[in-house]
Amino acid sequence: MKEFNYLRADTLSEALEMLEEFQGNVKVLAAGTDLVVRLKGDMVKEENILDISRIKELKGIYAENGIIHILPLTTHTEILEYPDMKTAAQILYDACKSVGSPQIRNRGTLGGNVANASPAGDTIPALFVQGAKLRLKSKSGERVISVEDFFTGPGRTVLKPDELLVDIYFPTMSDDEVGFFKKLGQRNALAISVVSVAAKLKKSTEPNKFDKAFVAFGSVAPTVIRGNRVENALMDSVVDSPEKIRYIAQLAWREVSPISDVRASLKYRQDMSINLLYEGLLELYKNGWNRRS
Amino acid sequence: MGEYKYIGKSVPRVDAAEKATGHIKYMSDLSFPNMLWGKIVRSKYPHAKILKIDTSKAEALPGVVAVVTWKDVPGLNGFGIVIPDQPVLCEDKVRYIGDAVAAVAAETKEIAEEAAKLVEVEYEPLPLVDDPIKAISEDAPKVHDGGNVHLHTKIVRGDVEKAFKEADLIVEHTYYTGRQEHAFLETESGVAKLEEDGTLSVYAGSQYPQRDQMQLSRCLALNPRKIHVVSYPVGGAFGGKDELTIQPILGLLALKTKRPVKIVLSREESIISYWKRHPMIMKYKTGVKKDGTLVANKVEIYADTGAYASLGGPVLNLAVEHACGPYKLDNVYIDGYCVYTNNGVAGAFRGFGVPQVTFAMETQMDIIAEKLGIDPIKLRKKNALRRGDVSPIGNKLTTSVGTVAVLDGVKETDLWKNKDRIEKVDKERPWIKRGFGFALTYQGTGLGIGLPDYGGAVLRFREDGGFIVGVGIVDYGQGTGTSYAQIVAEAMKCPVEKVSVILGDTDLTADSGPTSASRGVYTGGRAAVIASNRMMKILKEKAAELLSVSPEDLEAESGYFYVKNQPDVSISYEKIAMEFLKTSGHLPQTEGYFLMPIADIKIKDAFGLPHHIFAYSGHLALVEVNTLTGQTKVLEGAEVVDGGIVVNRQGFEAQVEGGYVMGMGYGLMEDVKIEKGIFKTVNFSTYIIPTVKDAPKRIQTVPVHDPEETGPYQAKGIAETVMVATAPAITNAIHSATGIRIFKIPATSELVYNLLKEQRKNESTD
Repeated sequence: MKEFNYLRADTLSEALEMLEEFQGNVKVLAAGTDLVVRLKGDMVKEENILDISRIKELKGIYAENGIIHILPLTTHTEILEYPDMKTAAQILYDACKSVGSPQIRNRGTLGGNVANASPAGDTIPALFVQGAKLRLKSKSGERVISVEDFFTGPGRTVLKPDELLVDIYFPTMSDDEVGFFKKLGQRNALAISVVSVAAKLKKSTEPNKFDKAFVAFGSVAPTVIRGNRVENALMDSVVDSPEKIRYIAQLAWREVSPISDVRASLKYRQDMSINLLYEGLLELYKNGWNRRS
Repeated sequence: MGEYKYIGKSVPRVDAAEKATGHIKYMSDLSFPNMLWGKIVRSKYPHAKILKIDTSKAEALPGVVAVVTWKDVPGLNGFGIVIPDQPVLCEDKVRYIGDAVAAVAAETKEIAEEAAKLVEVEYEPLPLVDDPIKAISEDAPKVHDGGNVHLHTKIVRGDVEKAFKEADLIVEHTYYTGRQEHAFLETESGVAKLEEDGTLSVYAGSQYPQRDQMQLSRCLALNPRKIHVVSYPVGGAFGGKDELTIQPILGLLALKTKRPVKIVLSREESIISYWKRHPMIMKYKTGVKKDGTLVANKVEIYADTGAYASLGGPVLNLAVEHACGPYKLDNVYIDGYCVYTNNGVAGAFRGFGVPQVTFAMETQMDIIAEKLGIDPIKLRKKNALRRGDVSPIGNKLTTSVGTVAVLDGVKETDLWKNKDRIEKVDKERPWIKRGFGFALTYQGTGLGIGLPDYGGAVLRFREDGGFIVGVGIVDYGQGTGTSYAQIVAEAMKCPVEKVSVILGDTDLTADSGPTSASRGVYTGGRAAVIASNRMMKILKEKAAELLSVSPEDLEAESGYFYVKNQPDVSISYEKIAMEFLKTSGHLPQTEGYFLMPIADIKIKDAFGLPHHIFAYSGHLALVEVNTLTGQTKVLEGAEVVDGGIVVNRQGFEAQVEGGYVMGMGYGLMEDVKIEKGIFKTVNFSTYIIPTVKDAPKRIQTVPVHDPEETGPYQAKGIAETVMVATAPAITNAIHSATGIRIFKIPATSELVYNLLKEQRKNESTD
C-alpha cells in the first residue's frame, strides 16, 4: 500500500477550504468502507485523503414541509432507526437494509454510498425512484442537481474538485404511492448486487392504473439507470394481470446494458433485470397494489 | 449413558473463556523483541522457466536484512507429505501462480513488501496445462518431467459389462465439482525464532507438529531435535494446514538473519498460494434391477491436483474407495486419475475426496429412486452395507456399520416426519417452489492400511491432584481438546475442571499422528484412556499403601479414593500428589500408545486402501427455489450421524451445524475460479461463502450408533462426514422442488436459473 497524506476537517468550511486548496488531488473519506479497500489495493491515485467523518454539520436527518433531508454522513443504521422512515421512504429503507452487514451499515454512510458512484451502490436506485436531489457545495457557491444527473460513469460524478455533497433530500412517500427495492446478490448478506431494481408507483383513482411510475436499475449499466420505457408502459396500461406485468417487465431488456464479470454473466443480468422487476410488481399486484404491512 | 459422568455431556470447551474474551494468542498475534517481517515473492506466471533471479535491488533497500532464494536452502529444496515435489523456493521453473521464488526479511512489514517488489525475476512462459483430461494425453505439455498423471488407481471387481446387460435400468451421467477454499479465519501465519541454544522454534498453526518438524529438518538440514514446532492454537484449518505452508520459508529467514521473523499472509495471498479441494470430473454409469438392487457401477474420476502432489494421491484414493457409496456392489470398475495442472494447488480438505464422489453417487441414487418409483430411504436400505458385508472395493466390514441405524434415524427427524406436509408451491408467490432431499454417506476414520496410524498421549499428575494430558493432535476448532479432558476425567474419575490439555507441541506432547481423517478423538482419545489406566493403577497402589488396604478394595470417585463399604475412609488425589512429592520428589507420568486396527486385506495398487472404521451420516434438506432468479434457500436441515458414542453433545451439534453450512456452501456457492492459470476470486468479496443469513433457520442433529468397541468409550469420529453429503441432499431437494437435475456444483443461482430456462424451453417445444 502506498503512502498518502491524511488530512482531517472538523467543520464544513474547513473541508471546503481544503478541497479548494488541493484542487482534485484529494480523496474524501466519509467512513472508509469502500475507500479503505481501494487504498489497500493501491487503486487510489490521489495523494491526499481528506477525512470528513467528524463534521457534525453533515450528520443527521430531518423532515421539513414533506421533504426528508438526510445529511451525507448519516449511516445506514441511523436511517433504518429513524422513526417512520419505513413509511416515509420505504424504498430507501429496504435498500439500506440490504447493505452489507450490521457492521458496514453501522459505519457506511448514505453520502459515501452515493459519492462512491458504484453502479452497484445499493441506495442509489432507491434514491432515483424517490426523486432525490443532491446539494453540492463549494467555497464559492452551491448548486442543486437531481441524483440522476450526478453520475457520469463507474466511480465518476459531476462533482467539481472543490465541491462536496452536503445534503440528500426527497419528498415523503404519500399514501397513494407504493414501491419496492429488490436486490439479487450471490448470498443474503455482505453481497454486492448482481442486479438491483427499485420502483415507485403513484396510483391513479382508477384501479390498476398509475399516474406516475419510476423505475431504476443497478449493476446493469456503467451507472445506475432509469427505466423510462418501463415507466411509460406502466403509466399507459391497465396493469391488471400477471401476463400484462410480465409483458411490461420484459421491456427492461431494452433498458439495460450489462457486462459479464466474476459474479454473473451478461445474459443472466439481462434476464434478472426483467425477473426482479416482474417479481416486485407481481408481489404488489397480488397485494392489491397496497404496501405490505 | 447414565453410568458416565462426562462422556456424552455438554461440557464447556476448555478454551471457551480465552477465545470468547480474546485473550488467546494465535500465532499471528505473536511478537518478539527485535522481530523482522517476512514477505514471499511469488511467481508472475502459472507455468514458466526461470531464467534469472536478481535480488540486488531488494538487498540494497534500507531496512532489508536478508533476501533468500533457492541457493539459501541448506537441505532438500522440496516438501510434500507423500513426495517432496514442491520447491521451498523455485530454482528453474514455476508451476503455478503462487509458487514461491524468493523471500525477504525486513525491519517492517512495509519495507518487506516493497523489497519483494524489487526482486527481479526473468521468466520464459511455458505452455499452460489447465484441463485435467487433456493433461493426460501423451502430447500435452508437462508440468513435471515424469508426466502429468500423478497417480492412477484402478479397482475392478466382478464384471460390470456383463452386469450392465442384466440390469433393468442404467443411469449414466457426468458430474463436476468446484474448487472449494477452506476459508479459515486465520490465514497461514507464524513466527520462526532461533533460540540461544541453536534450537529453531517455529510457531505456526498446523495439523501435525511432529511431521512439520520432520519435513523442516529435511529442508533445513537440521537435526529434528533442534527444531521445536508449536502448532496450537490454530484459527481454523479444515485440512488446509495439514501440509507445510510458510514454515520452511520462515525457518530459512530466521536461520539467515538470526532474528525472529514473522509472516502473516493476506487473504489474497492465502487463497492464491495454498491448498484447495480438488475439483473432479466424474463419469458414472450405474446398473440396477427393477426391484432397486444395484448390480454394477462404472466410475471414471479425474482429479485436478494442480501443480504439486501434496496429498492429491490419497485424496484420489479416498474418492475411489468411497465412489460407490455405502452400498453392496459386486461388479465395480473404478478408474481414477490424479492429474497435475497449473491450476493452483489442491490438497487435503475435510472430506478428502469423498464429498465429490458422494455428490455424484447420491445423485445417481436419487435418479434411480425416482425412475423406479422407490422411496429413496428404502432404496438405500435395500442396498446398504451391513456389518459382515464385503465393501464395493473388496474388504470385509468387521467393525461398526451404521447405515441401518442412520436410515432408521432419518425417520425420527422432524423434517422427515413433516415432509409430506410441505407446501410444494407457495400460495402467495407461486414462483417459489419447495422440495425435500436426502443423501447418505460414510467416511473412513484414520489413515488407511499401509500407513502407520497410531495415537499417543502423555499424562502428567499435577500437584493439586489434577492431570495434564498432552496430545500431538491439534484443536483447530473441532473441540478435540475438550474431548480429551472429558475422556481423562472419566477415566481418572476426577472433576473435568482438574484436567488441563496441551496440544500440538513437539516438546510437550506425544506424537499422535496428523489431525486429519476424522481420527483425533478416536486415536488420541484411545491413547489417553491407555495412559489414564496406567496412571490409575499407580495412584491406586499409592492410595492403598497410604490407607493400608489392598488396591482392589479401593474405588475412585470425584478425585478421591474410597474404601469400598467404608465411605468415611478416603484419600484425595491431592494428598496422594503431596505424598509422591514428599517421598520421591516428583510426580508420576504415564504414556499411552494405541495402534489403529486395520482392515483384513490390502487393495492392490491402491495405497492406503481400504479403511477399517467408518463414520456414517444421512443429510436432509428442505429448500425453496425462486424460479424467477434461480436462488436456492435452505429452509431447514437435519443430519443423522453415526460417529460412535458422542463424547461432547454440544461439540457434536456444533460440528454438525458447521459441517452442514460448509457443505451447503460447497453445494450452492463456493468455487475458486481459475482462468488460464490466473485466480479470479482471491478474497471474500468474490469467493462467496455462506453468512449466517444464508444458513438454515434450524439444523436438527440426531446421533445414532452401531457400537465400535475399539474406540475410546465407543467413540469413532464425525469431523468430516458431517459436511460430506449436504451438497447432494440440497441438489436432490432442488430437483424435488423444480424437476431440474444438478450435475455440477456449486449450483449457483445463475446455473439453476439457466437449467430452469432450458426446462421451460423443452416443455414448450414438447
